[in-house]
Amino acid sequence: MSVTIETREDRSKLVGEFETTDMALFVRTSDESFRGWNRQRIVDALLRETYVDLDTAKEIAREVEELIATSKIKMITAPLIRELVDTKLIERGLEQARRMHTRLGMPLYDVDQLILRPNKENANVPHGPEATNLTLAERIKKEYALLSVFSQEVADAHMRGDIHLHDLGFIDRPYCSGQSLEYIKRFGLSLPNSIAIAKPAKHPEVLLAHMVKFAAALQSHFAGAIGWDAVNLFFAPYLVGVSDGELEQLAQMMIFEFSQQAVARGGQAIFTDLNLYWETPTHFEDVPAIGPGGEVTGKTYGEYSKEAQRFAWALFDAFLDGDGSGRPFFFPKPMVHITEKFFKTDGHMDFLHHICEVASEKGNTYFVFDRGETAKISECCRLSFKLDQTDLDDAKQPWRMRYCALQNVTLNLPRIAYVAGGEESQLFSKLTESIELAVKAHLEKKAFIEKLLSLGEKGPLALLAMNRDGASYLRMRRASFLIGMVGLNELVQIHTGQEMHQSRQAFKFGLKVIAHMKLMIDRLSQRHGMRFVLEQTPAESTAYRFAKLDLTHHSPKSGQAVKGDIARGEVYYTNSTHLNNAAVLNPIERVRQEGLFHPLIEAGALTHVWLGESKPSKLSLANFVMKTFQWTQNDQIAFSPEFTTCNQCNRTSRGLRPSCPACGSEDVDGITRITGYFTKVSGWNKGKLGELRNRYRNREFFAEEEKIQTSDPKLHRVRESAQDFD
Amino acid sequence: MGSVKIFTKAKCPRCPEVKEIGKELRREGFPVVSYDLDTLDGLAEASYYSILSTPSIIIEDEQEREVASWRGVVPTVQELRNCLARSPS
Repeated sequence: MSVTIETREDRSKLVGEFETTDMALFVRTSDESFRGWNRQRIVDALLRETYVDLDTAKEIAREVEELIATSKIKMITAPLIRELVDTKLIERGLEQARRMHTRLGMPLYDVDQLILRPNKENANVPHGPEATNLTLAERIKKEYALLSVFSQEVADAHMRGDIHLHDLGFIDRPYCSGQSLEYIKRFGLSLPNSIAIAKPAKHPEVLLAHMVKFAAALQSHFAGAIGWDAVNLFFAPYLVGVSDGELEQLAQMMIFEFSQQAVARGGQAIFTDLNLYWETPTHFEDVPAIGPGGEVTGKTYGEYSKEAQRFAWALFDAFLDGDGSGRPFFFPKPMVHITEKFFKTDGHMDFLHHICEVASEKGNTYFVFDRGETAKISECCRLSFKLDQTDLDDAKQPWRMRYCALQNVTLNLPRIAYVAGGEESQLFSKLTESIELAVKAHLEKKAFIEKLLSLGEKGPLALLAMNRDGASYLRMRRASFLIGMVGLNELVQIHTGQEMHQSRQAFKFGLKVIAHMKLMIDRLSQRHGMRFVLEQTPAESTAYRFAKLDLTHHSPKSGQAVKGDIARGEVYYTNSTHLNNAAVLNPIERVRQEGLFHPLIEAGALTHVWLGESKPSKLSLANFVMKTFQWTQNDQIAFSPEFTTCNQCNRTSRGLRPSCPACGSEDVDGITRITGYFTKVSGWNKGKLGELRNRYRNREFFAEEEKIQTSDPKLHRVRESAQDFD
Repeated sequence: MGSVKIFTKAKCPRCPEVKEIGKELRREGFPVVSYDLDTLDGLAEASYYSILSTPSIIIEDEQEREVASWRGVVPTVQELRNCLARSPS
């Protein structure tokens, strides 16, 4: 409860004339009433919140009262009293008690700034009262996490920037999740604390409504992405006999519903991933389908492939049209799985051309490559889970297929290189220490979330504790714990003197670092019986934060390593295991080289192909996608065009421009992909702006490719070996 | 003369066979380098050559360009000899 204490008269006159109960102060409380001054409250708080003994508490209360009485302060606030008490605790060397008694909150100035100015930590949060509420709550929960959830060792490492604990403001939730529509198809929408229960949907529009509401409920219980598996397939039993027009309408509804959630948490659109398949995945082929009313239809999912394909096609029709201004939809993100079976399924080339047209025109399509027998579910910007035998058994009852990553901890790799000072053994030793610290952070977060979950459906994570099928919604034993990395390229640069794209030796050293991380976390997974996995952290703001901190603490070396423009403050480290964004590499070579890291990064990896203004043909992109699948180990690619949208005439044009080419207005916004999603450039942090300036666009490549393709297809083969280093 | 790179793992049923082939080639004077994927250097090198299954064998020329490869399969010693004989020096 927030309390403000004010004096009724000049307290200097009262010095030495009264005992505490006589002090003429009154207290303004947050329940809008006044209370008289009572020294005992300080004693009570100290006994309730700390381990100090009664005599010490009384002594401190008396000293604080005396200080207040002799001061000439016109208004005394509760935070001030708490600070004075804390000072007394420090004077007595009671550091732990001070920590326990501390107050969480924000300075008045910061709140003022927050309300007036947008927060650029996450470009997916707009500026408005709801966003302000979100940020204020996040700030307090962040402090709480660093003081109360994590050990001082972990918290200090985060504060220093050795590691980054993601989504501290959402400390009381897991990180991200993936689920199946089958859960709401089978059980309807029966959520804890809900005032109404909905039976399983009978119509596709109702199923969509349930999906959107469930997604919003999940957004309130996870920090990040909400992924849905095989969406087109699981909708299919509801789509039998549906006309093309109705299907088009349903596809539009789905995309608009997920892209216009500006009334959701903090005004933030739900970070939604729709996993889509052209083929019926083998593990679902013979599974009995659930249809309207939650009833088994008597057919298997393999028998609904035509409906599933029609819906997937309709969704991409809607993506191709864009929103009301022809802009690309920022969410939901369509993740199309490209598998061996994809290429054996009728109509795959037409579909590939369709989704490539969308990729070229609007950039929406994510191409997820599941080679061999691997089956995956994709979650976040690039996070995916590979399905093992237990999952494939669960696939017979797909509503059981619920996954989550509990937390993401990212390592500041360049800092390890600064500290190692060129000593390789030192570098790997420091890297090991960082990984162990990240694991410690995961153990601490897991313990905290388990405490909340243990309160069951009466507790704060009721939704995740709900049990409709013999297991709680969140299956902790299936949870992943992510360990990410930022700035591998700069680590290599600091240690070897060359960036990864500059020499074979430098590139191989990068691989050695990630191989070390992989071997370490495999060992730690065995030791703790938990699933630690490497992930390419999206690092929208972390790459900026680490670079800024290192410029402060590791200058002058850091000045030579950070990317961007130091004078403008637009600094960053290269994301995860990516090659320098500014490196002049042809895109297929970038995809190949970056892809060599991907088998080591179990939780998912992605390569961006920055298109800039260019608009390659669908044939050219399809060719690129097929080669990526066949000739590289790359896990996922996305093509990123750039747009300018005019706030005056509402037209959208290609490329990032200072003014609208249609009406000349300078009231324009740039739109392109920031990390794993599209957004307006005006909301980007400085680090990402620096990266945007540096991105090497592949303007000529696709034009050249199309010429070669039509003249001599043999020249178009992807080179398997690393000859580009020669 | 190029070199032969052999990639194996401890728990891999056909890896002993390839290790024997490596020994044979070494006896014949061919430069053979062995990598264990359970070790740091082995895993890093295997990643560089996109080795996803063991045993695997790569033949490189002197400029470290890949000349031939067997991934997840075991060639005969003679196949390797022939390939090494053909590889440019």
